[in-house]
Amino acid sequence: MKRKLASMFLAVAMTASIVGCGGAGGTGTSSSGSSPAAGTTTTAAAAVSSGTGVTNIQTATSTGKSGDNDLVIAIEGSVSGLDPQNVTDTNGISACMGMYETLLTFDDDGKIVGKLAESYDVSDDNLTYTFHLRKGVKFHDGTDFTAQSVIDNINRVSNSANGLSRRRLFVVTDSDGNETSRIANMEATDDNTLVITLAQPYNVFLNKLTQFMIISPSALEQYGNDIMYHPCGTGPFVFKDRTEGDHTTMVANKDYWGGAPKVDSVTIKEVPEAGSRTAMLQTGEADMVYPFTSDQMSAVTGNTDINVSASYSNIMRYVTLNMDLKELSDVKVRQAMNYAIDKNAYIKVMYDGHALPATSCVPNCISYYKEEPAYEYNLDKAKELMKEAGYENGFTLTLWGDNTTQEIKGMTFVQQELAQIGITVDVQPMEPATVSDKIYVDKQDAEINMWYVNWSASDRSFDSSVRALLHSSMVPPTSANTAYYSNADFDKNLDDALAETDDAKLTELYGKCQDDVWNDCPWLFLGNDQILYATKGYVSGVGVKPDGQLDFANAVLAQ
Amino acid sequence: MAEESVVRQSAEELPKPKSPYKEFARKFLKRKAAVVSLIFIIVLALVAIFGPMVIRYNPNAADYTALLQGPSPKHIWGTDEFGRDVFARLIAGTRLSLSVALGSVVVGTAIGIILGLLAGFYGGIVDSIVMRGSDILFAFPDILLAIAIVAILGPGVINVVIAVAVFTVPSFARIIRSATLEVKEAPYVEVARSIGCTNSRILWKHIFPGTVQSMIVNFTMRIGTAILASSSLSFLGFGANVTEPDWGTMLSQGRNYLNTAPHMVLCPGLLIFLTVLAFNLLGDGLRDTLDPKIK
Repeated sequence: MKRKLASMFLAVAMTASIVGCGGAGGTGTSSSGSSPAAGTTTTAAAAVSSGTGVTNIQTATSTGKSGDNDLVIAIEGSVSGLDPQNVTDTNGISACMGMYETLLTFDDDGKIVGKLAESYDVSDDNLTYTFHLRKGVKFHDGTDFTAQSVIDNINRVSNSANGLSRRRLFVVTDSDGNETSRIANMEATDDNTLVITLAQPYNVFLNKLTQFMIISPSALEQYGNDIMYHPCGTGPFVFKDRTEGDHTTMVANKDYWGGAPKVDSVTIKEVPEAGSRTAMLQTGEADMVYPFTSDQMSAVTGNTDINVSASYSNIMRYVTLNMDLKELSDVKVRQAMNYAIDKNAYIKVMYDGHALPATSCVPNCISYYKEEPAYEYNLDKAKELMKEAGYENGFTLTLWGDNTTQEIKGMTFVQQELAQIGITVDVQPMEPATVSDKIYVDKQDAEINMWYVNWSASDRSFDSSVRALLHSSMVPPTSANTAYYSNADFDKNLDDALAETDDAKLTELYGKCQDDVWNDCPWLFLGNDQILYATKGYVSGVGVKPDGQLDFANAVLAQ
Repeated sequence: MAEESVVRQSAEELPKPKSPYKEFARKFLKRKAAVVSLIFIIVLALVAIFGPMVIRYNPNAADYTALLQGPSPKHIWGTDEFGRDVFARLIAGTRLSLSVALGSVVVGTAIGIILGLLAGFYGGIVDSIVMRGSDILFAFPDILLAIAIVAILGPGVINVVIAVAVFTVPSFARIIRSATLEVKEAPYVEVARSIGCTNSRILWKHIFPGTVQSMIVNFTMRIGTAILASSSLSFLGFGANVTEPDWGTMLSQGRNYLNTAPHMVLCPGLLIFLTVLAFNLLGDGLRDTLDPKIK
C-alpha cells in the first residue's frame, strides 16, 4: 500500500509540479518584490545603449525600478572556464571579458579601436606593429599593466607546455606538423610602448588581438595554469565566485581605469531551459535573458516591463558532414541533403522568422562574404541526386549535438527533413563536454557522422570564420574541421590570403574559398539567426555582440 | 414421501461446488474502482495495438504551417513545436510506453520468480545470497538505481527496459520467497515429496502455482511503477530517443512551451497520471479479491 501510495503521489507530483511551474511563470510578475507594479511609467526605455542594428521587438512601457543593484543574466549554455587564453566558447569568453581586457576592441560599427592600447601604428610592410599602451592601468592584484605584461602573456600562450587553445594565434603549424612562431621579435621600448615584429604578414593580426585578453603576470607567476580559478585582469569587474554548471559572479572594480561600473555585481546564471529563463525574467530573478527564444515571445506579450531586442549576429548554424564516411564521401549525396532542407521552414520553426537562410559558409556580416546561389528546397532534385549516387534507398546516420532545448529542436528538424529523402537520422543529444570528448579524437578513432553546431568568429574576420572549421590541417584533435574537409585549392587560397594586403585580391581569394565550400558541401548550410535577448525595463547599457558575447560593462539598473 | 423430501433437502444443503473463476469475478466486480481501471487499461491496450492504424495523422509528420496550435477540431489535442499532432503522438506513444513497461516488468518478474523460488525452496546459502543481493538493490531508491544503470549502459529504450527490470527483481524475489516458504510446508507438498517427486517437479508443479496469487498483484502494481520510471527516464533524457513519441519525452519537450502552449504538457502528463493510477487501482482490487481473508 505504501509503495502504491508513493508511486501515485509521484505521478501526481510529476504532473502537478509541471503545471505548478507554469502558474508561477504566468503570475510571477505581480508577486515579485523586486519589480514593484507601481513602477514609474516613463517614455519607452532604450533597450540597449550600444550596438547598431538593434531593433526592439517589444518595448517596455513601464521601466520600473530594480530592487537591488546586482545584475543577473540568465544564459542558455555554460561558462566552460575562466582562463581567457584557453576558453573557446562564447559564454566562457563573455564571462572572461567582464574581468579581463584586450589591447584592441571593436566599436559599435565593427571598426577596430584601442582599449588597453590607446593607439597603434602599423608599418608599411605590415610586419611591425607599435602599440601605445594606456597609462595608469592596474591589475586587480594591484600591479601595474605595462608593455612587459603583454610580452609575458604572449610568452605564456606560445609555450607549448601550457597547452592553451589561443596558442594558434602566435604559432603556425605547417602541413608537416612543424611549428614556427608568427612573432619575430617583441620589444618593450618603454613601459607603455610595445613593438611587435611579425615573421610573415598576417592580415588578421589586429582582429585576433581583439580577443586576446591580458592576465596579470604576477598572478600567473603565483597560480600558473590554475589562473582559471583565480582570474586577475584589468577589467571593470573582479572575480568573486563560480560554481561550475551553475553561476559565475563578479563584483565591481572600484578602481577601474574607465571609472567604476554602475552595478555592484554581475552574475551569469546557467539556465538551460528557455521557459525557465522567461519565468526568471518575469519574476525579476534575472534582469537579462540571452538567448530569448522566439517561441517565448507570446509568453511575455503583455508584460509591460520587459524589453525584447533583436540584433544581427555572425552566428552560422550548420551541420558538419563527415566526408570520410563512405555514404557522405560523394558530393552528390551532400548536395542532395542540402536540397532536402527547407531553409525557410527552419527559420520559421526555430527562430520564428528572426534569421536568414545561409547563403554562404559565413554570415553576411563577415568581411569578404560572397553570396552563393541558394540550394533551393527541392525534394525531386534531392531524390534524383541520391539516385545518381546509388543511395535511392537511403542510409542511416547519427547526428550529435548539445542537449539544450534549441539544439534538440534543430536536430529534430534536420532529422525530419532528411527522412524525406530516405536518410534515417539517429538524433543523439549529449552534454556539451561529452560532445567535445567524442569529437576531439584522433582521426582513426573518429565516430562522428554529423554534428549540429554553430560557429561565430569573435574577431569577425573571414579567416577566423572558416580556418578552424574547414582547413585540412585543422581536423580534430587539432581543431574543429569535423567534416574532415580537405581541398587543396581552398587551403592554398586561404593561406595565400593571410599574406595579402590588397583588398581586391583578398575579395577574389576569399570568394574562391566560398565557391569551393559551397560546391563541395562539407556542411548542411542552415541559417544565420538574429540575436534575441530580453531585459527588464529598468536595465540599460547592456547588449549582446554579434558573436553572442554579452556586453554588460556599462550596465545600469534604474533605482 | 417424507424420506424423499429429506434427501432432497440435504442435497440442497450441500455446498454447491462454485467455479473459482465465477467466485473471483463476483468479488472483483464489487470493486468499482478496479473495474473502471481494468476497462481503462483494456482500452489503452487496444489503442496501443490498433491506434496507430486508425489515426488521421502520422505522429512524425511535421506541418510547418500549424506550429504550437491549441486544441481545435482539426487537431483535437493541438500541435507541437513542429506542427505534429499531439493526439497522434500520444497514441503512438502508448504503444511505446506500454511495451517498455510490460517488457521490463515481465523480464524483472521472470528473474525475480526464479530467484525467489530457489531462495525459498533451498534456503541456506542460496537464500542468503539472493536475499542479501535484494537488500543491496533495495537500498537504492528505484529511480536512482535506474538512472545509474542507464548512465552506465547509455540511453535507449532497451537499456531503460533493463534498468527498470533490475529494480523490479528484488521485490519479486522477496515476495515469491516468502510465499514459497509458506507453500513448502503445505501437506500436499509433503505428499508430493513422500511419493518421490523430483525437486524440480515439486518446485514448478506444486509450489509455483501456490505463489501465483501474490505474483499477479505485484505484477499489476509494478507496471504502474514501470511506466512512471520509464517516463521519468525519458523525461530526463535517458530513455527513448528525443525524436520518438514517448510520453516522458513529450512531457520533457513540452515543458519549454509551458507558458505558451500548455496543452503540450497537460495531455501527456494527464495520460501518464491516469495510466499509473489505473494500474495501481487494478492491483489494489486484485489483491483484495484474491485475499481469502477478505470476503
